[in-house]
Amino acid sequence: MTTLEVRNLVKQFHGSQQSAVNDISFELSDGEILAVVGPSGCGKTTTLRLIAGLERPDSGVIRLNNHVVAAESVFIPPEKRGVGMVFQDHALFPHLTVYENVAFGLRGKKTSEVRTIVGDMLHLVGLLQFSKRYPHALSGGERQRVALARALAPHPVLILMDEPFSSLDADLRTEVREHVRSILKSRQATVVFVTHDQDEALYMGDRLAVLQKGHLEQIGTPQEIFHDSNTRFVAEFMGDSDFLKGKVVPGGIQTEIGLLNQVVELPISTPVEIAIRADDIDFQIDGSGNSLIVERFFRGAFNLYRLRLDSGQILHAFTDHTQILPVGARVRAYIHVEHSLTVFSE
Amino acid sequence: MKALSISPRLAIAAGLVALFVAIPLVYIFIRAFGADTESWQRLLQTRIWKLLGNTLLLVVAVTSGTLVTGVSMAWLTERTDLPGRKIFRWMLVMPLAIPAYIGGIVYLALLRPRGGYIPQVLENIFGQSVFTPSPLGFFGAAFILTLFTYPYVYLLSGAAFRSLHASLEEAARTFGRTTFQTLFQVTLPALRPGLAAGALLVALDILAEYGTVALLRYETFSSAIFVQLSGRYDRSAASVLSGILVTLAILILWSELRLQGQARFTQMESNWRPAPLTLLGKWRFPAFLLVMGVISASLIIPVAVLVVWSIQAFLDSQSLTTIFHTGSQGFGSYVWNSLWSSGLAALIAVLFSLPVALLAVRYPNRFSRFISRFCQVGYAIPGVVIALSLVLFVNRTLPFLYATPFVIVIAYVLRHMPQAIRASESALNQLSPSLEEASRTLGRTSLQTLFQVTLPLILPGLLAGGSLVFITSLKELPATLLLRPPGFDTLAVRVWVWAGEGFYLQAAPAALLLVLISALPLSFLLRREKIFR
Repeated sequence: MTTLEVRNLVKQFHGSQQSAVNDISFELSDGEILAVVGPSGCGKTTTLRLIAGLERPDSGVIRLNNHVVAAESVFIPPEKRGVGMVFQDHALFPHLTVYENVAFGLRGKKTSEVRTIVGDMLHLVGLLQFSKRYPHALSGGERQRVALARALAPHPVLILMDEPFSSLDADLRTEVREHVRSILKSRQATVVFVTHDQDEALYMGDRLAVLQKGHLEQIGTPQEIFHDSNTRFVAEFMGDSDFLKGKVVPGGIQTEIGLLNQVVELPISTPVEIAIRADDIDFQIDGSGNSLIVERFFRGAFNLYRLRLDSGQILHAFTDHTQILPVGARVRAYIHVEHSLTVFSE
Repeated sequence: MKALSISPRLAIAAGLVALFVAIPLVYIFIRAFGADTESWQRLLQTRIWKLLGNTLLLVVAVTSGTLVTGVSMAWLTERTDLPGRKIFRWMLVMPLAIPAYIGGIVYLALLRPRGGYIPQVLENIFGQSVFTPSPLGFFGAAFILTLFTYPYVYLLSGAAFRSLHASLEEAARTFGRTTFQTLFQVTLPALRPGLAAGALLVALDILAEYGTVALLRYETFSSAIFVQLSGRYDRSAASVLSGILVTLAILILWSELRLQGQARFTQMESNWRPAPLTLLGKWRFPAFLLVMGVISASLIIPVAVLVVWSIQAFLDSQSLTTIFHTGSQGFGSYVWNSLWSSGLAALIAVLFSLPVALLAVRYPNRFSRFISRFCQVGYAIPGVVIALSLVLFVNRTLPFLYATPFVIVIAYVLRHMPQAIRASESALNQLSPSLEEASRTLGRTSLQTLFQVTLPLILPGLLAGGSLVFITSLKELPATLLLRPPGFDTLAVRVWVWAGEGFYLQAAPAALLLVLISALPLSFLLRREKIFR
């Protein structure tokens, strides 16, 4: 069943040339987590706020559980939409205890019922013993979990999360996101999760939506987005791709470092770019090779090399950590792939 | 900042506040520029240029005086190893609780050329009259006003010194500047917008000052308008003078509002750490004496004199009966009148400031910024001018209010609401909008959110704004004198009237109580700052 439907959403702010959100459409099924990812200013947070009802769209339609909540002549205010939101700064009410924060969205319910729900929620996020504390006495990770419990407590049809982990330290972030994802999945929550971190998006999302300058560039599973990018932007943004120039020839694409055996539906001799990652390239020391080691970066489990081809093109390549090659050495680089690569015509 | 679509209810409420604020302004300009050309010509030929010169001279002198005093005291107590600086921080702010005219009364009694305490004592010792500086005239007025207004600059520059990044000065030192070169080439220039804004507020205060200049017989626009209104009762001349005064003040206020925007960059950042203290070395003792001198002149001497006079008054049965019983009124009624009129004004000012501040902070755009700035125009309308416009306006449109104490309350609100607006805005600025948005997504309407989330959280800020309005209303003299119904005496009025008649002993207990009542909310305000805890 479709929980959220967004159609042709447009929002432009006063005094801005460009639309913050420009004709975005997508759907979200029950129990699905959609990670919306893009660089800052791409419109991901605005999209979230439009769904929450914190901003009014210029045009477009938003449906929640098949009810129109925003359209040309309809605007349901946030308090009547039944969505839960987790804010970037957590937005815990500093004048209320943890218990009162979680109970804030449960107005109109019987006291005994409120007590049960809040107890369940705090148990779920593992903070039952902190219910009498005030937010300032909690750590960043604990605040994060209270914010989640508060958003989940009224049993909203949809949970919106706006960069919820960005205020946490890097090592805490990985731990918290595993915990949060398992909580969301155990509740079978439907979630729109906004982040600027590709890694986090790949981890959190059942599907990913990549935004740029207000446009939806691509929506799909993490695998699709990573290995089969629709646009050069997505390839560039999602993984540290280099773009290797080439030309379509019969049977593949001719590049500076050899032939890529991949048939593309483009006319012969079309100039193209291949999105290629460090794990798709191998190289060996070779005095008459095609490139030069410019720099070596030690990355723990492996070494990452920056190679300069004779044309000046820069490529990156991995080797395992036992093998250390000197900077300045001449090497022969070649394509080494077992999956198809994404090709863009120029 | 993203501009949201403005809530119509809020915009209407803020608009109504702006209309209320517009009353005195519009009235003064209509009367001033609608006055017959004869009044203008007569004033242009005789009074205006002299008054303008006098007023500007005093404004420039006191503003510079407060800048030098305030900034140097702030530097000494915030950035050096001056002994006793923690206590000095308190004592350097406390003169804010002493209205300048009370300070003026004390110094006048001490130093009056004929009959002052000190000249008399000296004459008795030496058998002949000895020269002592006179508190009358320009130098006296500039001195007294500097003594009792420098704390504004002191507070602002102290906060600015604290918030400045240590790395900024350290960077200057690595480029080979000495401590003092760093102070003058880096630190002070970096603090300039904030300091200039503080200085302009002092300038506005001096333009509005009536009590001190009247007492020390130095004629400025404010005192001239007061004379026209009370003595000669020439409303036309008063309107013309007021029009010029308000125009001048609005120019200053406008620059101050522009500077406020620029002052932002001195704000504290997350990786802030305190700058290391400058070691005074052999200058420690002279610096200590300097600070002691400022504190003695602005706090210790006036308070000590008031205490001694009060004791003398209580020992003298005749003045004791006068204090507690003048006509049908007693001391209790002055206190009560002061408290309720200032308290009510503070309450109304805070309530009125809310829609304006909410609009300006939550929906920033041209319209809301204009409303917010316009509602601060009270800073630029001196008490005498507010009184004049209210006399005219209430007489014509709300006669049932005429000669009731409520007109005084309206005057206090009009004059002092800008302080409440600034306090409310700064409280709202510190409240993340996401808290209100969280409340909305958890099922509260915007009105419920205001009462359950916003108001409880900004309450300390609102109290601070209310305290400021209360303190300044408590000592407001000219508006109270001109608007009070017969028999409505406040502490400020009684101090003024008794001292004017030369009954210093009688005036002292009322003046001392006024100072104490002001000191309480002032210390509440200071305790909000970490440094004063």
